[in-house]
Amino acid sequence: MRVIDLALKDLLQIVRDRRSAFFLGVMPILFTFFFGLVFGSSAEGDPRLPVGFVIHDESDALSASSQTLLEASDAIRPVLLEGNDADSAAESVLSKVEGSVRDGDLAGAVIVPVGFGEQALAGEKPRLTVIVDQNTPAGQTASSAVQAAMTRLLGAVETARLSAEAFEAREGFESEAARRAYLDEALALASEAWLQPPLTVAVEQSGAAAEEGEEISPNVYTQSSPGMIVQFVVFGLNASAMVLVLERRSRTLQRLLTTPITRTQVIAGHVLAMFLVVFLQQALLVAFGQLAFGVDYMREPLAILLVMVTLALWVASLGLLIGAMSKSEDQVIMWALMAMFVFSALGGAWFPLDVTGKTFAAIGHLMPTAWAMDGFQNIVLRGLGLSSVLLPAGILLAYAVAFFALAVWRFKFE
Amino acid sequence: MKVLDIALKDMLRSFRSGFALVMMFVVPLLITGIIYSAFGGLGGDGGFDLPVTRVQVVNLDQPGPQFSFSFGQMLVGFLQDERLAELLQVTEAADEANARAAVDSQDAGVAVIIPPDFTTAALAPEGRASITLYQDPTLTLGPGIVKGIVSQFVDGFAGTRIASGVVADQLGQRGVAIDASLMQEVAMQYGAWAEALGRSRGEGAHPALDIQPPPSKTEPVSQGAGMMGPIMAGMVIFFAFFTGASTAETIIREDEVGTLARLFTTPTPRAVILGGKFAAGFITLIVQVVVLMLASAVIFRIRWGEPLSVALVALGLVVAAVGFGLFIMSFLKSTRQAGPVMGTVLTLSGMVGGLFTTGFQNLPAAYDTINLLTPHGWVLRGWKLVMAGGGVGDVLLPVLVTLGMGIIFFAVGALVFRRRFA
Amino acid sequence: MHKNFGDVYAVQGVNFDVQAGEIFSLLGPNGAGKSTIISMLACLLEPTQGDALVMGHSILRDPMAVKAAIGVIPQDIALYEDLSARENLNFWGKMYGLRGAALRQRVDEVLGVIGLAERQKGRVGKFSGGMKRRLNIGIALLHKPQVIIMDEPTVGIDPQSRRNILDNVKELNQQGMTVLYTTHYMEEAQELSDNIAIMDQGKIIAHGAHDELVKIVGELDRIDLTINAEAGRVLERWQATEGVHQVSAENGQLTLLVDDSNVVLPRLFESASRAGVRITSVEIQEPNLEAVFLHLTGRALRD
Repeated sequence: MRVIDLALKDLLQIVRDRRSAFFLGVMPILFTFFFGLVFGSSAEGDPRLPVGFVIHDESDALSASSQTLLEASDAIRPVLLEGNDADSAAESVLSKVEGSVRDGDLAGAVIVPVGFGEQALAGEKPRLTVIVDQNTPAGQTASSAVQAAMTRLLGAVETARLSAEAFEAREGFESEAARRAYLDEALALASEAWLQPPLTVAVEQSGAAAEEGEEISPNVYTQSSPGMIVQFVVFGLNASAMVLVLERRSRTLQRLLTTPITRTQVIAGHVLAMFLVVFLQQALLVAFGQLAFGVDYMREPLAILLVMVTLALWVASLGLLIGAMSKSEDQVIMWALMAMFVFSALGGAWFPLDVTGKTFAAIGHLMPTAWAMDGFQNIVLRGLGLSSVLLPAGILLAYAVAFFALAVWRFKFE
Repeated sequence: MKVLDIALKDMLRSFRSGFALVMMFVVPLLITGIIYSAFGGLGGDGGFDLPVTRVQVVNLDQPGPQFSFSFGQMLVGFLQDERLAELLQVTEAADEANARAAVDSQDAGVAVIIPPDFTTAALAPEGRASITLYQDPTLTLGPGIVKGIVSQFVDGFAGTRIASGVVADQLGQRGVAIDASLMQEVAMQYGAWAEALGRSRGEGAHPALDIQPPPSKTEPVSQGAGMMGPIMAGMVIFFAFFTGASTAETIIREDEVGTLARLFTTPTPRAVILGGKFAAGFITLIVQVVVLMLASAVIFRIRWGEPLSVALVALGLVVAAVGFGLFIMSFLKSTRQAGPVMGTVLTLSGMVGGLFTTGFQNLPAAYDTINLLTPHGWVLRGWKLVMAGGGVGDVLLPVLVTLGMGIIFFAVGALVFRRRFA
Repeated sequence: MHKNFGDVYAVQGVNFDVQAGEIFSLLGPNGAGKSTIISMLACLLEPTQGDALVMGHSILRDPMAVKAAIGVIPQDIALYEDLSARENLNFWGKMYGLRGAALRQRVDEVLGVIGLAERQKGRVGKFSGGMKRRLNIGIALLHKPQVIIMDEPTVGIDPQSRRNILDNVKELNQQGMTVLYTTHYMEEAQELSDNIAIMDQGKIIAHGAHDELVKIVGELDRIDLTINAEAGRVLERWQATEGVHQVSAENGQLTLLVDDSNVVLPRLFESASRAGVRITSVEIQEPNLEAVFLHLTGRALRD
């Protein structure tokens, strides 16, 4: 009973401290909202990357086809830019386009020079200019999408050439004009055919639930919400660790020990309080994620509960460790901040580990936070069930026990 | 000069505080360091160091005895080519269910499922087929790479089909007889062309595309360093504003402890006291910014750009940070309030100023404009311009705006404080 | 001087002179307005009305000169706890305009006077309460002020330290400094001061040397009694008893002003026993400042 009393006293102190309320509740919601907003608004319009498209010769038959093929891409969206007729302006167009790509307004740009179509159909090998910065992820995506589309275009040109050759060999053209018309027709047919190619690649997202007919419709918040929860839950321990330190400094801890309470009970009471704080914080964020952001945590309530409980246990043990070792309030904030950054970044809460280097990803996967992320993502993103969170929960529990042992060993009662 | 005495006293106190040192130097370098080590393998030395994507491929394509080959098998061979070994780790799965299960249980990132009728559909005039990529929704880069490779392969065959189809259409319309040998020849010629194209692409030179990066005034930087620059800039700015607010917070703290009143009982004018605090903030911030810039240049190989321009932008930052800090603190009555208020305001202004999203591309254009509501956004813009090769002329506007904002904030804050301690 | 904060009249028409070289006390309970007066004299607050001259300088027109002439020792410790004792003294010395060799010498002297020379490099945050108080005083002495203002310096401290402080004050005075001392402890005012002003609710209700003030209550004795029942049981009876001038009850203790304690006491005992009340403790006091205060205000000086 004394343990519960002590825990309740801690909770009262935490709730009264306005600083805690801010870090525990307000900040994570703010951040989730912010990142969701930033990514969401870019996804509302056409989510494809904008690629500039400049045709110097508007009568070029090929230009229409290339535009059609670019339009059909699912990764990029062509933005028609002003071409020009006069030669002197060609350079200014080029530098303007280069500027747009450099500043990031466009992910890339394609410039079709004058006479491209004729040369291509005549069998020469004219070249298109593609401006793209392959040193950025967006640039890379744009570059490969443009290359794919242009390869199809070249395929269409080659098709037209082959068809004209075949006709020439059997019948022959009446005039150059007839030949041109034939080529144009071939080109049009081929380009159209490419809009619905006979052989395609179809992408499916995995998720056991998808097979059962459940809808997993991830939105931008599905990515950011679990990461935010993990990150801010770790920082939430700041509040409870603070209580510990203050108790030691105000000498109420010493006074507590003069009452008939054992040291174990003291520690247990503090741990209970920390656990409750972190758990409630998670509950708040999960509820917020579910109701305000449409992240479907509740499709497997038991699984989510298991992750939340084991995560709270680990964080509580971490909080105990920090509280045990810190000598002042400033130190608590410092350690809590650093723990938050290190565990979050390494755990994949800031950016997914699959885009990082090998070593980093390997170290990251060892982090308890990575396992917590796994647990949450299995439910909301991969659509899996209770069994999928057993391993993550188990690992979190193991970490909790280890940190707890360390904390008890280091706990200063003076 | 008493102003200096007060400034030195404040600086002595803050540089002695472990907490202050950590917040000023350690944390910004730590965060950037983590990001750097996460992505540091890119460009720089060693090229891509991404974890390999585990691929499970199921080839259901058994075209039957009349065919001596299977396109499905070709694709499998293509994926297992040793040149792709750096990127993909390919295993052949027993059947489709196993392959999908592997992705579900996260033993693989992508399952490539080649349908049984792939070869027949590829060759039949009206055939259609689709290769399914079943992928882990939490992965981003790996599946994209696999999709690119498989699409390239598939397009080769689709192109042959389209070529045959167009030729048949056009000749047919003009009443020319079509025979099997013609179709085969078209297919072979197209196939040869496609293969040649694929080979030259594999060797790095695209036969028809000149791919060039947009020219910048500096040498092209590797991906790693290119990305780290703005990220570090964002960190320096955020933590500089934190320092600015902390410096101003000492006014409130001294008021609570009683040393501020004591200062007022000495023959020291109030303007001098405030001036001392301002000087402390100014000097501390200059030290912080310089140290962070030097450290990041050495550790993360970040090239800040032309020194004079960098310094001008830094000056704007320092003035803005001191002024903004004073402004925030002038509305607070106690240090208890200071913690959460500082946290909220600094975080919000950091968000609006674009400090937390420096690593992301393809943000909505409106966001860029919103950044400019804050001095943070202007400083970031200034430094980004310098990093991209800009000079004094380019940063003149951002610097002037930041200085202006800083001076206005300072003036308001100073006014409120004077009135409070009149 | 007058000072009001909105509706609160903290200081109402206070007038007094402090002669050079004397120790002057402002004696009064908490809330009497002593600290407000100190703040005004230290030029921290401006009087709503009125002026004061410190060493001939007006607090309104010439505050800088006033500040240079006075050394203020605040009631609460006002030190930089994360700096050392020496660093604190150095800084405050500079704020008073001391520099270089003169500053160094003065700091050494003050460290000696307050007995912290051995611990000068230690962080103030680690000092004991007594050491901090000594440093708090030392800071005010750096610039050799002509006037020292001390605001309730002995509140809540142990008798030994209090003894030290009182001795210090006398020493400083012997060195020629004028001391303005506020307190609500009568014995201190009595022991230290040449002149005393008794304050209550913003006004000075009595002013003069100790012996003169005591004469206000004449030859009245003061008796402090505790009884084993509610004060109300005996209050009226005792008020009506012959020889009793004043009865007040506070916190279970009854305080009476009487003509002659030895004559009145038996009457009180009898009156009490008739009321069925036992007297459990008796203390007789010769006329003193507390009696004066009680007489003038009807309330006890001590809280």
